Amino acid sequence: MTVDLLHLLHQALFGGLAASGFGILFNFSWPDLRWCAASGALALATRTLGQEAGWSLEAASFAAAAAVGCAGQLLHARLGLGTNDLAVAGCIPMVPGLFAAEGILGLYALAAPHPDNPTATALTAMEFTLRVVFTIGAIGTGLSIATHILPNRDRGMVMDKRRQNATADGGGASVQREALVKGVASILFGRRAR
Amino acid sequence: MKTDPALLERQELDQVAEAALCAARVLMEAGVRAKVVHEDCARIARGLGAEHVDLRSGYASLDITVTRGMSTITRMVEVGPLGVNYRLSHGIRALAQRIGDDGMTPTQALSEMTRLKQQTGRHAPWVVALAVAIACAAFGRLLGMDWAAFIPVAASAAIGQSVRHSLLRRGANVFVVAACVAFLASSLAELGARWAGSTTLDLAMIASVLLLVPGVPALDAQYDILDGHPTLGSARTVVVGMTLIFIATGVLIARAVLAVPQ
Repeated sequence: MTVDLLHLLHQALFGGLAASGFGILFNFSWPDLRWCAASGALALATRTLGQEAGWSLEAASFAAAAAVGCAGQLLHARLGLGTNDLAVAGCIPMVPGLFAAEGILGLYALAAPHPDNPTATALTAMEFTLRVVFTIGAIGTGLSIATHILPNRDRGMVMDKRRQNATADGGGASVQREALVKGVASILFGRRAR
Repeated sequence: MKTDPALLERQELDQVAEAALCAARVLMEAGVRAKVVHEDCARIARGLGAEHVDLRSGYASLDITVTRGMSTITRMVEVGPLGVNYRLSHGIRALAQRIGDDGMTPTQALSEMTRLKQQTGRHAPWVVALAVAIACAAFGRLLGMDWAAFIPVAASAAIGQSVRHSLLRRGANVFVVAACVAFLASSLAELGARWAGSTTLDLAMIASVLLLVPGVPALDAQYDILDGHPTLGSARTVVVGMTLIFIATGVLIARAVLAVPQ
């Protein structure tokens, strides 16, 4: 597999820009926007790598959403309640709006009084529509898998409390490191770190 | 004069239901998925003293039944237009966590929620318009749009967002707004990109309306179905589909008016 590094950087940069722009539309606070950008950049970089490896858009989108979801769970102690929302914001630049529009426009063209080559138009419209459904399905599934396999809420709440206590006595960094190590361990060894 | 203790308990339970339902409504309107709404609503009700909580979430209404001892209260509330406001939802969820951990009286909880609703800030409209402009132009680049169309797409998306904000504040129908903004933004993008010498006019037209694509509701719909709320998930899916149809209609009219080849 050869990776066009410039293309990869381009996709990551504009993925991060799009995610942080939509993050403002979704009213994320200013400090959270850098996480939106990081999430979008990671999503687009992973998807681009997948596509360059010859995967379909749907498979690459699934892998990208799963990567963003897992990264969010790893950083849950730092991100707190917004983990899943930040992952969603990062995946927004992967939503296939172009395919959706083209699919519906294709259906409109098919409904014209005398459509040119109706079979080809129908096939194209159907292809775009199916790709929208499958890509959104792949993104949602990738995010859900990360959330359901690595449940974080209770642990996160405990971590939030511990972080507050530790910050009060100057030990916040060690708690964050501990959370990161436990998160990595839970992914590598397939169990929840205690 | 002595007040009946059973009546007092029912009045208090009524306040518990009201506070929990208020939080659930705010979370729904802020674009949170059903599972989280259910969890936080139950956490609040239990933190305020309920022993058992049942919540039913529909697209436009929520019902709650809370029980303590022999008393049971059922209440229903309408849900307003669903949007996305993560800062508010994080505030309410943090409050739910606090109530669950430390407890609170229903009156305090309600006043805290009112304070959050009133004081949680939103980005200024011009900041949102600028951010949307950058996001749509960046999205266009991801789709393969050329650099010549970058500024026209950004400008038309900013104008589209400003018009959308203005129309929605006046209470216009969200689907009609989607079609009107799609027509306006895609027309401006096409004219601007053509003037700038772009060769990707089709992509420019589509990129300028991507601000309207309901990405968060589409993912929420899927989450809801996966989490065991198929009714709400299906309703969200229908709304997403209708929005896409109205966006495409706007773009189609723009193409027809500007005589863009189909």
